[in-house]
Amino acid sequence: MTVASTVMTKRKPADGSKHADADGGSKPAGADRGDGLLAALFIAPAMFGFVVFLAWPTLRGIYLSFTRYNLLTPAEWVGLDNYRRMVNDPIFWSSLRVTVEYVFINIGVQTVAALCIAVLMQRLTKSSFLRGIVLTPYLVSNVVAGVVWLWILDTQLGIGNQILGALGFDHVAFLASNEWVIPSIALINVWRHVGYTALLLFAGLQAIPGDVYEAARVDGSGELRTFWKISLPLLRPVLAVVMIMTVIGSFQVFDTVAVATPGPGGPANASNVLQLYIYSSAFGRFQFGYASAMSVALLAVLSVITIVQYRLTRAGESDLG
Amino acid sequence: MGAVSLSLLAAGCGNDSSVADAAAAKTVSYWLWDANQLPGYEACARQFEKGNPGLKVDISQIGWDDYWTKLTASMIAGTEPDVFTDHITKFAQFADLNVLAPLDELPATKGIKDSDYQPGLAASWVGKDGHRYGSPKDWDTVAMFYNKKLTDAAGVSADTLNSLAWNPDDGGTFEKTLAHLTIDTKGRRGDEPGFDKHNVATYGLATNDAGSADGQTQWSAFAGSAGWSYTDKKAWGTHYNYDDPAFQSTIEWYFGLAEKGYLAPFKEFSRSNGPDIQLGAGKAAIALHGSWMTKTFYGLKGIEARTALTPIGPSGKRATMLNGLADSLTKRAADKPAAQKWVAYLGSEECQKTVGTFGIVFPATKSGTDAAIAAYKKDGIDVTAFTKPVADGTTFPFPITDYAADVAALMNPAMQDVYANGKPASGLTETNSQINLILGQSK
Amino acid sequence: MSVLTPPPPTSPSAPAPEPAPEPAPRTTAEVRRRTRRTLPSPGRMLAWTVMGGIVLITLLPFYWIVRTALSSNTALTTDPSSPLPVDFSWGGFERVFGLQSTEEALAQGGSGGSLNFWRYLFNSTIVATMVTVCQVMFSAMAAYAFARLRWRGRDKVFGLFLAGLMVPAIFTLLPNFVLIKQLGLIDTLTGIALPTMFMTPFAVFFLRQFFMNLPRELEEAALLDGAGKVRIFFQLLLPTAAAPMMTLGILTYITAWNDYFWPLMVSYSDSSRVLTVALNIFRSQTPQSGTDWAGLMAATLVAALPMLLLFGVFARRIVNSIGFTGIK
Repeated sequence: MTVASTVMTKRKPADGSKHADADGGSKPAGADRGDGLLAALFIAPAMFGFVVFLAWPTLRGIYLSFTRYNLLTPAEWVGLDNYRRMVNDPIFWSSLRVTVEYVFINIGVQTVAALCIAVLMQRLTKSSFLRGIVLTPYLVSNVVAGVVWLWILDTQLGIGNQILGALGFDHVAFLASNEWVIPSIALINVWRHVGYTALLLFAGLQAIPGDVYEAARVDGSGELRTFWKISLPLLRPVLAVVMIMTVIGSFQVFDTVAVATPGPGGPANASNVLQLYIYSSAFGRFQFGYASAMSVALLAVLSVITIVQYRLTRAGESDLG
Repeated sequence: MGAVSLSLLAAGCGNDSSVADAAAAKTVSYWLWDANQLPGYEACARQFEKGNPGLKVDISQIGWDDYWTKLTASMIAGTEPDVFTDHITKFAQFADLNVLAPLDELPATKGIKDSDYQPGLAASWVGKDGHRYGSPKDWDTVAMFYNKKLTDAAGVSADTLNSLAWNPDDGGTFEKTLAHLTIDTKGRRGDEPGFDKHNVATYGLATNDAGSADGQTQWSAFAGSAGWSYTDKKAWGTHYNYDDPAFQSTIEWYFGLAEKGYLAPFKEFSRSNGPDIQLGAGKAAIALHGSWMTKTFYGLKGIEARTALTPIGPSGKRATMLNGLADSLTKRAADKPAAQKWVAYLGSEECQKTVGTFGIVFPATKSGTDAAIAAYKKDGIDVTAFTKPVADGTTFPFPITDYAADVAALMNPAMQDVYANGKPASGLTETNSQINLILGQSK
Repeated sequence: MSVLTPPPPTSPSAPAPEPAPEPAPRTTAEVRRRTRRTLPSPGRMLAWTVMGGIVLITLLPFYWIVRTALSSNTALTTDPSSPLPVDFSWGGFERVFGLQSTEEALAQGGSGGSLNFWRYLFNSTIVATMVTVCQVMFSAMAAYAFARLRWRGRDKVFGLFLAGLMVPAIFTLLPNFVLIKQLGLIDTLTGIALPTMFMTPFAVFFLRQFFMNLPRELEEAALLDGAGKVRIFFQLLLPTAAAPMMTLGILTYITAWNDYFWPLMVSYSDSSRVLTVALNIFRSQTPQSGTDWAGLMAATLVAALPMLLLFGVFARRIVNSIGFTGIK
């Protein structure tokens, strides 16, 4: 079809400069007759928002990470003190470890479950009613999700454990034991986000051309084989972007932990995730400089992970093209 | 510490006085976190407005979980309340940050005397610099709430409960009683052969987190009655005593009750299902809790709530923490006569008596306390367990030091480690030295 | 490379590159897929069972919210496993709407606080609408400039925008707060909406993907006709982008509606309080005290209801419009 093929051919020239973070330098073809003024006009509002509400606060945060700042009196330059403290702070390292553990469970389970749901919806029923149902948890806020699950997962009084008990299992201290608290928080957030992720993947699956499947069918490929050999590889670019986005979000887990864990952050520091530690340092202990230094560390971690992930998944390439 | 002229909040927001228009000057903003006390203070506000025509009090209630963050944010923004309910663990930090007005220097409040209030209350609100930063509003102590249905069934009388004693070696009559009140899922009591401590239907004692730095409603009554005190000095200590063997053996014994099955283990109830809910659900027979929870416990359906004194300890005496809230005036509002007046009014006999009649908390003045006792009595509630320690002088104060937030940040996980993860209490020695290191820092 | 959707050039029947509001157009391939998607019977049974389980896990918490909201708070814990409300009571809802006297509310374990529901609903709607309309519009304009206009440093600037994705939310909280204060917008709906009104990196990224996938012929033909680029954008490209903009709009609306911490900091009175912040009064009131579970769940339900209703009405459109329009 002409539309599709023109997309292919026409887009080529610009492709060299797709990923600014990978190669920002190259000029789009025909930059000589540029639309500078018009572009400036179009980009002005977004640029204003970006500079004022995102870039400037970030720079300011980086500056504050080199200061001692208690929020109410002027910041005082202390050089690398906060970073030195951070490197020697066992709680910081344990927070980082806990956060990574959370991200692994959260992203792992969520991605697999979302893929499952997406494939089931594609192969079983395309009912938008069903798709609507899986999206409902996304409509409630993190705080509400945390509160509701805290109530459901109480060791003695929660319906979750009542059901386990009725089935003959021991009670599980989902949100009050070292071993369970992070997996529980991770799964609560899977509950809230999996429907949304599944719909993104579903849309990706829907976009895989039918004749690819047709060919597989002719070859006598089974459902599983078709999934591994066709759906998954062709879905990869969507999957990669979805994962980059969800990993970035996952690293910033906060609300659910703040609402649903004992302490919060407990037992001991078992669920003291990085963002919670940053928050309590800043607003609980008035150590905004130190909190900023940890935020810079988080920013660095996110950047590295995003770049690595991007490279690993070759997000920019599709096996189709 | 002279005039109130310092430009506070220099954090890039300057000294904003735009709020000072005529109408705003006549309206006093007031914050509190405890919704249970809202009706009482609303009544006070109406009386105040009546007595001071033209003035208005605007009360906001913000839940504890967000109260302090929002207060800090409001100070940055310059939208802080004129007057707010303050907590003993927080005021030192705010005083340090120079955002509180010294009440002893203001015309309306300089008359506040320690002797106007129940002993010990007003003194707590004097900062290290000797200035008063809070006008006492109420007080609380800790006692045992119990479900009379369960104690009756176990044959434990009110007299027995009021005369229990504990020690760190065999737990004394207190531990024996807990054991007897504990029932496993097969109906065997904790002191009967075959008792299954892993399948307990009703615990003798309800759980309420690990207690952080103060253990107010957890272990403070025990550590206190063991003769231990938090710091080297009564107020503004420079050294914490969590390394004291007397403290560590108390903690070892107290959380050891969980291993015996008498105290609900840390893991059994999640954060929002506190002792009141455990008692209400019939999952526990006794709960140590503060007087501010009286109405909540007595309102539970399906149980018959009663109160008893905390046990006598190895020191031969009882000990219960006496704590109280106060009203602080923010520095920015210090020039505002209406705000000063309101603080003074909150501490007055008239307002405290009014608050007392709502029977939620014990107001700080003698007559206010009497009004509260009468109000409780009218509801059929006997609060002797809370008032007797004050009359007997068997109370001790909340620890007040610098760096309270840092101390809590270190102690909270450390105590959870002992309770939830079974770490030995001797590990607290390490935490204690970290804390003392922080306290030793120059300010 | 890089587009998710384009079929091999030989394909006789490509689905449109963007998911249309309706499911992908009924091309022949689509029809064939429908007839052929039958799984073997045991496999299908298993698949349906899994699907059933997923639906159950998804919905059970909602049922539990309702069940708890309709229980009497003081009796709630006496029968934790009852599938029906314990000691049925409208008390939770009455407290939410302030229909109980404070004394009554306190006696039932409530806080005596209530929601000024219509006011907060109005506020939430205004904030979410302001954020959504402006953010989507401005992001679309920027996305167009990044995708379709030629200018020096374009990709560097876009890279910068994209890097904004990685900035932890807590970083921007305080400086933004101070700024809103300096603008005198504390305690206003504008103050709550402002920081996210202009763009989010995701929105720009998302829409840029769409514009990059549009055939250039569209514009070029119009350009030949003498139309200006501004006109092309507003009259030609924007209508074409309705579907992805709708997707983005819905996501933005949900996010804005559910935001809690930022409005909590900015809002100080009823005039700017939104529903999520109002929920706060049903949460723990003192450092150690009981939770009004029934009131809290009722409030949760009430706060989520407008969203759920909106979703119920537009569910079909919403779920069909969610998707990436093309990934690079």
